[in-house]
Amino acid sequence: MSESSSNPFEVAYHRERKIRRAAEQLLEDKTRLLHQRNIELSRTNERLIEQQTNMLKQEKLATLGTLAAGVAHEINNPLAFVTSNMSALDDYHNAYHEMFQFVKNMRERLSEDKTADLDVAIKKLDLEYLDHDLPMLMKETMEGLDRVKKIVLSLRNFARSQEGERAYIDINEGINSTLRLIQSEIKRGIELKLELQDGLPKVNCNPSEINQVILNIIVNSAHATKDEQHPLIRIASFAEEKYVCLAIEDNGYGMSQHTIDNLFVPFFTTKPIGEGTGMGMAIVHKIIEDHGGEMHVNSEEGKGSRFTIKLPVSLDHKEQIYTG
Amino acid sequence: MKGVVFNILEELVIETAGIAGWNSILEKTGSDGIYTSGESYSDDELFALVSEICIALDMPAEKVVGIFGEYLFEQLNARHPTFTASATDLKTFLFSVDTVIHGEVLKLYTNPNLPRFEYQDRGDNQLTMLYRSPRKLCILAEGLVRGAAKHYGKEVSIDHPVCLHNGADHCQLDVSIK
Repeated sequence: MSESSSNPFEVAYHRERKIRRAAEQLLEDKTRLLHQRNIELSRTNERLIEQQTNMLKQEKLATLGTLAAGVAHEINNPLAFVTSNMSALDDYHNAYHEMFQFVKNMRERLSEDKTADLDVAIKKLDLEYLDHDLPMLMKETMEGLDRVKKIVLSLRNFARSQEGERAYIDINEGINSTLRLIQSEIKRGIELKLELQDGLPKVNCNPSEINQVILNIIVNSAHATKDEQHPLIRIASFAEEKYVCLAIEDNGYGMSQHTIDNLFVPFFTTKPIGEGTGMGMAIVHKIIEDHGGEMHVNSEEGKGSRFTIKLPVSLDHKEQIYTG
Repeated sequence: MKGVVFNILEELVIETAGIAGWNSILEKTGSDGIYTSGESYSDDELFALVSEICIALDMPAEKVVGIFGEYLFEQLNARHPTFTASATDLKTFLFSVDTVIHGEVLKLYTNPNLPRFEYQDRGDNQLTMLYRSPRKLCILAEGLVRGAAKHYGKEVSIDHPVCLHNGADHCQLDVSIK
């Protein structure tokens, strides 16, 4: 039936139907647009959450850095005089020991009643035991103080602004020199696969700090593979856009999500008390961050871990290298 | 079933039997005839309407549903011409139904309960469409394929050797494009 019908109600019906179609079309257009916007919004929201999480991590690490600097400073002062006093005490004990030996040697020359009095006094004060135990107490105390010193040094390394001497280095040289340093650590049956790309652009960095990063990760990888029947560490270097990348991968026991989340937090460690300060990876992360680089960690429990470090190539220098 | 299908059925009946004919069918089924395109309505209501249309036109259900399928394609294409605009030929269009077109439908309607299609490319101008839907509206699907063929100016023959109505878990539509 067409709108040319003579029936005015039918004409009106067709007109209303057209209006309804137009209204529904408008609704569909808006729904499609809304759907599209919703997808965009969801993606933006996901990015925001990711950025917020990263920001919180960075803020947490920055706060910890400030805290670490303060704690290191506060501990360092009493640590200095405690260490100094301990050194003095060691000398004093040597004097005491010589004196005690002298008194014991003099014993033979004393009268019988004086000798008895001396023996009672030595026994009552347990001087034989004190003389024997003091050196061990001093030794253990000094070892404890050395550990405290190392922790304070780690804290200061973590906190300090990394503006040390920089130079353009070949990352492959850094890898090779680090491997020479830790030969003993990795020679116990670990298969080492090197996939180093030749002709990489040089990176402007503090060489000793970057070597420290490489060393820390390789030592951790070696530790993670200690129970593996066929331990394997693969080290690769390659260029990726404006970065020189270094990837260290192992087939060790991997990390839980909790460990990954806290990996760069100072004092977080999965090692038994006394075996690790928990500062290694925190310092590694700080060094890479101070070099304007990125660090990514992928790990699966029971399968292994992969650390990827991306160090920026200075554009000017990159040009020089590539154009010779 | 989405209201847009009811709207198009209403248009087909009014074109064929006039407003009085549509009112009569609504009266017999007890439906109020108020259908909004994006709203879902009971499948039984649609089947009751089709059943009354068959009686009114004195035609078997397969014939009515087949004709409606062709008409449905034409009307849906008039409402959403972008779907056919993005496919240059019939075979490409048919291959795009399950992913592209149904993907777009999902943007517009919540829970549209769409059928699923799997495809077997049998060479030049030949394809097999495996249809799965609890509604078992394979004849409507055949009609839609014919409607699409008409849009692309092609003739098709459709063999239907396996059917949900015969206890299979899918329908097999062997489409030959002439």
